[in-house]
Amino acid sequence: MKPAAPVPRQTHQTRMFWLVLGLTPVLLGLCVLMGAAGIGLPDWTTQPVILRLRLTRVLAGFLIGAALSCAGVVLQAILRNPLAEPYVLGVSSGAGLGAAVAILTGFSALGAFSVPLSSFVLAVLTLLTVYRLAGPGGSRPSVFGLILSGVMVSSVCSSLLMFLVSVAPIEGMHSVIWWTLGNLEVTSEALLAVGGGLSAAGCLAIWALSPELNAITLGHDMAHHLGVRVKVIVAVALGLATLITAASVAVAGLIGFVGLLVPHVMRTLVGPDHRRLVPAAALGGGAFLAVCDAVARTALNVEIPVGVVTALIGGPFFLFLLHRRRKAGGLE
Amino acid sequence: MSSAITLDGVSAGYRDRMVLDNFSLDVPEGTMLGILGPNGAGKTTLFKVLSGLLVPRSGSVTLFGQPVARLAPAERARLVAVVPQELDIPVAYTVQDVVMMGRTTSLSRWGQPSARDRQIVERAMVYTDVADIRDRPITELSGGERQRAIVALALAQKPRMILMDEATSHLDLNHRLEIMQLVERLNQENGVTVLLISHDLQLASEFCRRLVLLDAGRVVADGRPAAVLTEENLRRVYRCAVRVHEDAETGGLSILPAPRLPAARVGHGIGIHVVAGGGCGEDVLRRLSLCGYTVTCGVLNRGDLDAEVAAALGIETVLEQPFYAVGESAREAARQLAAKAEAIVLTSVPFGPGNLANLDLLERMQAAGKPVLVMEGIESRDYTPDRAAVRRVSELVTHGAAVWRDLADLLTRLPTAASHPADLP
Repeated sequence: MKPAAPVPRQTHQTRMFWLVLGLTPVLLGLCVLMGAAGIGLPDWTTQPVILRLRLTRVLAGFLIGAALSCAGVVLQAILRNPLAEPYVLGVSSGAGLGAAVAILTGFSALGAFSVPLSSFVLAVLTLLTVYRLAGPGGSRPSVFGLILSGVMVSSVCSSLLMFLVSVAPIEGMHSVIWWTLGNLEVTSEALLAVGGGLSAAGCLAIWALSPELNAITLGHDMAHHLGVRVKVIVAVALGLATLITAASVAVAGLIGFVGLLVPHVMRTLVGPDHRRLVPAAALGGGAFLAVCDAVARTALNVEIPVGVVTALIGGPFFLFLLHRRRKAGGLE
Repeated sequence: MSSAITLDGVSAGYRDRMVLDNFSLDVPEGTMLGILGPNGAGKTTLFKVLSGLLVPRSGSVTLFGQPVARLAPAERARLVAVVPQELDIPVAYTVQDVVMMGRTTSLSRWGQPSARDRQIVERAMVYTDVADIRDRPITELSGGERQRAIVALALAQKPRMILMDEATSHLDLNHRLEIMQLVERLNQENGVTVLLISHDLQLASEFCRRLVLLDAGRVVADGRPAAVLTEENLRRVYRCAVRVHEDAETGGLSILPAPRLPAARVGHGIGIHVVAGGGCGEDVLRRLSLCGYTVTCGVLNRGDLDAEVAAALGIETVLEQPFYAVGESAREAARQLAAKAEAIVLTSVPFGPGNLANLDLLERMQAAGKPVLVMEGIESRDYTPDRAAVRRVSELVTHGAAVWRDLADLLTRLPTAASHPADLP
């Protein structure tokens, strides 16, 4: 006999899923209310511009948070490592370099697609380089190889980015620095539409891959035995993760920790099944980033870069999780 | 009965190493087949070829009449399921989540699993007795429960063939039998073809009516357990002696390593003097000490490997200076030590002019009526200019010295408490 039968895990996880689903619009609504002048909705008849700015900013936070979080979920599933994240593989740095090149060369003036495109191209190149370096001779690279070469390639990208910044004209420099810290201030609604649209589509496509992602977490060989076209799925999923990372970096710069932290929390809340984890991570990531941004906008008299806030909240919380896991007997 | 597996002239391997070499095998549907062989024989490679993970360099692989290379992944998953030795699952899926993954190819992308999928998963869980623990995270289960859940995952594929790759080797006796009985039932009741790789020869012989013994990528023997698991086949493949005993009543086979070394402490402190040198006496010194003999040794040069072993084991040893020929005082000391022993053992020490004096010791002890045991093959160890060692050892043998082959043989020839009444209470 079990002592006082607890709520079945499945039921508990379903409840948590509905809770995330219900809480997200509430949090987003609160974010719209929060402004530099205090809590309250700007009068849309007298201040339509402010209201519009706030709405687009919350929308940007939501879409980018969702994208970064989903990219983390995909990388964690495919590398079978809870520490994987767009930053770990160097994808973000590559995308950042691409965006910086577009901004500094004036390529960005060519249209809303130009920055995400430049980001995506460099993010893909980065991922291919990392993959190539990690597994010499075309063999499948180990997780450690991937992470190690990811860190190295990432630091090379960051150095190149810093180099570009240091030789750039003064006006360009400020925007790039501000942007490497992560910034959700929407400079172009067209860019947000393109980047946000790509992110949303990418998240939905990733959700569609849920059964395959589930199987792949059991190992690539086991997924093969279960009838998954492992090579195709891995390529498509990595491509999608790269795409949405590049799109979010193009819109808002480098924002860390969302892809690492949110999937971790959501996995403990709704369970690791991707059919629930992907939407929960998307909603949770979106709400998390929107709230962080609201705090960044309103906490002090000056605006703080949102990447600083996510790192300040995410870092200690991640350490706390790590500590708890270690005490509970090993990492998941 | 049609064929479940037909392999014809398959050569397969990895980047720089071919493992299977022109390999052919035919397995009728409904067979329960055990695949045996030492590490590196090609068992796992064979499974990789069968499950389509490894594309062979040449030859044809056919599963249930269809070339494996042309099977769509989803179709292949309905034919073949694999139960690995151990599945590392990094996240806390519940048992039911994991078993449901057996239906990966038929699951709807967003919606709930269909009634049919749910029923199949339910049956797989009941069959493997994991229905009660369906809500437990797989990361918190015991080894036995975990492996049962993996078998349930394989069953949920509704495969026509199951490949078990040492699937029970991490389990205790009870769970091992349980899983084997489960698989046997699937085989007998549902006609599922089962291939199992096992290092447990006895278990394989018990559950499989046909065994295939592999070595270096080739089939060494194929047939009934009693025909495959012969002492000769096993010695050839595993390169060690085993004893196979067939139970007259049940027909069951029992396989033991043989010959067994005697249990420890049969020596009862009986004194044995060992003539060794150059590291050849290491095993003898260690084994005799372990068996409880009072071992003495000499003459050795200081710094000799055997001298170090002897010192480590606390064996009283007569030593000569490094690189010096055995001198008169050492010879006398050795004579005194050996005189206290019940028997003198000559190991596979090479002889040259420097240590030939040790043969004096053996001759004197034999003359004094003590048993002398010499290791065979002195011809290959004699480096004296005039083959004096060969001559003198042969002389010892003609005067009654016993010749021993290996450590086990030596131990059967040494005096024990039973042959030594003085030591008995």
